[in-house]
Amino acid sequence: MTSTIDLARESSAEVEVGGIEARSPLELFWRRLRDDRVAMVSLGFIIFLVLVAICAPLIIKLVGARPPNAQATKYLDSFGTPTGPSKHNVMGVDPLGRDVFSRVLYGARVSLEVAIIATAISVFIGVVMGLFAGFYRGAVDTVISRAIDVLLAFPILLLALGLAAACSLGKGCLGGLIQPGLTVVIFVIAFVNWTYIARIIRGQVLSLREKEFVEAARSLGASNSRIIFRELLPNLVAPIIVYSTLIIPQNILFEAALSYLGVGVQPPNASWGAMLADATSIFDTAWWYMVFPGVALLLTVLAFNLLGDGLQDALNPKSGRNA
Amino acid sequence: MQKLRRLLPLAALGILALVVAAGCGGGGSKSSTSSGASTNTNGKTGGTVTILDTAGSVDSLDPGYWYYQTDYEELGTTTQRWLYSWKPDSNTPTPDVAQGLPQVADGGKTLTIKIKPGIKYSAPLANRTVTSKDVKYAMSRCFLPQVGNGYALVYWGDIEGASAYSQGKATEVTGLQTPDDNTLVIKLNKPVGVLATGAALGLPCTAPVPQDYAEKYDKGKTSTYGEHQVFTGPYMIEGAGSGTVPQSGYQPGKLISLVRNPSWDKSTDFKPAYFDKIIIKNGGDVSVTSRQVLAGQSMMSGDSAVPPPAVLKEGLTNKKSQFQISPSGGNRYIALNTKVKPLDNVNFRRAIAAVVDRNALRQTRGGPAVGTVATHFIPPDIPGFDEAGGNAGPGYDFYKNPSGDVALAESYMKKAGYPSGKYTGPPLLTIADNQSPAKETAEAFQQQLSQIGIKLQLREIPHASVIGKFCGTPKQNVAICPTLGWGKDFFDAQSMVDPIFNGKNITQSGNVNTAQANDPKFNAQMDKAEELTDPAQRAQTWGQLDKDLTGQVYYVVWLWDNEVNFTSTNVKGVQNSFNGNAWDLTYSSLK
Repeated sequence: MTSTIDLARESSAEVEVGGIEARSPLELFWRRLRDDRVAMVSLGFIIFLVLVAICAPLIIKLVGARPPNAQATKYLDSFGTPTGPSKHNVMGVDPLGRDVFSRVLYGARVSLEVAIIATAISVFIGVVMGLFAGFYRGAVDTVISRAIDVLLAFPILLLALGLAAACSLGKGCLGGLIQPGLTVVIFVIAFVNWTYIARIIRGQVLSLREKEFVEAARSLGASNSRIIFRELLPNLVAPIIVYSTLIIPQNILFEAALSYLGVGVQPPNASWGAMLADATSIFDTAWWYMVFPGVALLLTVLAFNLLGDGLQDALNPKSGRNA
Repeated sequence: MQKLRRLLPLAALGILALVVAAGCGGGGSKSSTSSGASTNTNGKTGGTVTILDTAGSVDSLDPGYWYYQTDYEELGTTTQRWLYSWKPDSNTPTPDVAQGLPQVADGGKTLTIKIKPGIKYSAPLANRTVTSKDVKYAMSRCFLPQVGNGYALVYWGDIEGASAYSQGKATEVTGLQTPDDNTLVIKLNKPVGVLATGAALGLPCTAPVPQDYAEKYDKGKTSTYGEHQVFTGPYMIEGAGSGTVPQSGYQPGKLISLVRNPSWDKSTDFKPAYFDKIIIKNGGDVSVTSRQVLAGQSMMSGDSAVPPPAVLKEGLTNKKSQFQISPSGGNRYIALNTKVKPLDNVNFRRAIAAVVDRNALRQTRGGPAVGTVATHFIPPDIPGFDEAGGNAGPGYDFYKNPSGDVALAESYMKKAGYPSGKYTGPPLLTIADNQSPAKETAEAFQQQLSQIGIKLQLREIPHASVIGKFCGTPKQNVAICPTLGWGKDFFDAQSMVDPIFNGKNITQSGNVNTAQANDPKFNAQMDKAEELTDPAQRAQTWGQLDKDLTGQVYYVVWLWDNEVNFTSTNVKGVQNSFNGNAWDLTYSSLK
C-alpha cells in the first residue's frame, strides 16, 4: 500500500525528462477510475440518490405526490387493502393509504443518513484503534485486539434488539445520548463495525512501521505522533477509502434489518427496512409495497459495492481483479 | 371478562381475576339477538376435522384453569360437561351435568341443584358415575392457588366459607353441601343473581372432578390434574385412557388430538357431537392457515380473531358461504390515562374523541366485515346496549361523525386551554402492539391526532408486554394505549363496564382500568348497580352508566368486534354465542 507515495515520487522525477505530463496521485487515481465504467455508473447513481434524498420534499411537490406520512382511506378498498400504482400514487399505497413513492424517497434519507454517519463514526474509531494497536504493539495491541475479538463474537442483532428495548422508552440510554430510533441503530452499527476497519489498519501499520521512511523519520527525531499522523496515516488513505465504501452497503442493510425487526426508525417515519417488514404479510395482494423499497435498497447497496470495488482497483492497481 | 385469547386479541387479557366485586346481580336476561349463531340439528355424524390455530392454543389442560375463549372452544365444551352449558344460540344456560336450573330458596341464599344420574368418567375411571361430591370438589379446587383459576372468587366469593377455604383457613367450603350423591346445595352469604340463574355456574370449574382420584395431583405448587384428568364430555384427549395424557394426544403449543370418549352416553347429553375426531394444530402463520382452511377440506379456522384483510377480501368476495360473521360481544378502545397531563382534562379527551376517525381505524383491521363502528361501550347482544343508545349511541357531538371532525376537535382544544386549537405540549408516550393489524391501528391513530397538533412518542412493542409491562402498570405513566379491548364473560353489561371504569379496580400491576378512571360519583353508582337483581333494571342502570361514562371519554371506544370464522367447503360450522361466537365444536359437523 505504499505504492501511492512511491508512484508520486517516481512521476515527479519524470517531469524533468520533458514531454511527459506531470500527474499527481489523485489525477492518476481519477484517470483509472474514469475508465471503470461500472464504477462510474455506480458513482452516478449514488450522486443521484444523494440529490434525491436531499431534494425529497421538492421532488414530491413537483410531481404532485402526497407527503410521506399523509394517510388516506380513499386509496384503500372496503376491506382496507391498499391499491396499486395509479396516476395518483405512482408506486401504489401502503395499508394506511400512504403514498409508497414518497415513502421510498424519504426512506433514502434514512438509509444515507445511517450510511454516512454510522460509517464515519466506525471508520474514525477503527482507524484510531488500528493505528495505536499496530504502532505501539505490545500491551496496547493486546488490549485492543482482544476487545475486537470480543466484539466480533457478539451476537450483534441480539445486542441491537436488547439495546433498543432498553433504550426505546423515555429519554433513552447513557443520559440521552442513545435516543430511541435512529441513534440506537447508528450506535449499534458504529459499536460493532469499527472492528473490521481496525483490524485492517492494524495489519497495515504493522508492516508500514518497519519501512525505511518510517525509520528515517524516527532517526531524524520525529515524535511518535508525527510518525503516526504524518508518515503512516497518509499511506493508509487507500485502504480507508476502499473499506469505508464497502462498509456503507453493509450498514445500509443492517439498518434495514433493524428496522425490519422494529428496532430502527420509529413510526410514522419511513425506512426501507420497515416498509419491507410491513409488506411481507401482504405481499401477495400488494406486491408494490415490497417491490419498490426492495428495488431501491438493492440498487443502493449494489451501487456502493461496485463503487467500492472500482475504488479499490483504482487506488491499488497492482492488486485485485485487473491483474 | 372472559379472556379472549386470539392472535391480536382484545388486549384485555392480563390478569383479570378479582376485578369484579362479588355480588353481581342476576344476569342473562334475554336481549334481541342479532347474532348469526344457529344450531345444526341434523348434521352428518362422523369424520375428522382439523382446526388450524395461529397462537399456541390452550395454556393448561386443567378444567379449573380454562378461562380463555380458545380453552372453552377446544377443550372446555368438547372434553368436559359442566353443571350448565350453553347451546350455540342461547344466552341462558342449559342444564348439563345438572338436571335442571337451581331451585332457589331462603330468599336466594340457598340453591339446590340435582345431578343427572348415569354420567360416567373416561378410563381409567370408566365405571365410575359422577356424583354431586365430584362437583363440590371441582368447584372447591378452583379456589386453590395451585389450580390458577381466574374467576372463582369473582363469581363464587359469596359462597359460605369460600374465602376461608381459599386462604387455607378451612379444609372444605362449608357452603357447598352434598346431602346425597345426586344433590348439591349451595349456601350463600347473600343472594347472588348470576348464581341463581345458573349463569355463573355455566363455567368449566363446575366440570366434575373425582376427589379421591384428583387429590394427589392437586398437591404441590401447580396442580397436574390436567395431565391426568378423566373426561366426562363427548371427546377425550387421544390416548389419555391410561390416566396420563400422552405426547400423541397433546403437545403444548403444537397439537391437540381429540377422539370420542367411550364413556360418554349421548342419551344424557344435549350436545350432538357430530365429529369422530378433532385435530387441533397450533402455531401456524395466519395468512397461511387462513388460505389452507379456505382452500382445503375438513378444516376450520382456529384462534385467529380475523384473517388478514387480503384473505378476508378474497374470501368474502369469492367464498362467502364459507364465512360466518357475528358480533363477538367485545369492543376495542383507546385508553387515555387520566393521571397523565393533559389527559386529566375532559375537554382535551373529548377533542381526541372528536378527531379520531373510527372508520379509518376499522379499515386497518379489515373494514366493515370486522365489526360495527362503536358509539359506546356495551356491545350489541348484551342487555343494556339499547338502553345506552343502540347503534346510534348516546348522542355526544364528539362521537357524531364516525370519520372524525377536526373543527369540533379544535373547539374542544380551545376549551381545554389551547387557544389556537392545536396542542403545544410535549409528545405523549403511547404504547402499542407491534403486530399487524394493531400496529396499523396505532399509526393511523397517531396520524389522526397530528391534525390537532398532538404528537405521540409511539413505541411499538410485543403484544405480551403491552399490557404486562406498560399499559397495566400505572407507575409506567403511559399516556395512551390505543390497542386495547374487552370481552364479555356472559350476557351481562356489568362485566363490560365495571372493570375498566370503577376506581376500585385500579391495581399496581395487571391493571385493567387503564385510564385510571376514578370518579367517586360513578364508582358509587356502579357499586350500587352491582347489587341489582332485576334484569330489566340492570340493563337500564348499566346502560345509563355506559352513556354517562362514554361522555367522560376515559377511553375512546371505536369498534364493536365481529367474530370472523370460516371453514372448508365441506364443513358446517356453528358459532357459540356464549363463547364470543367462537366455533362450537360439539355442534359443528361435516356436510
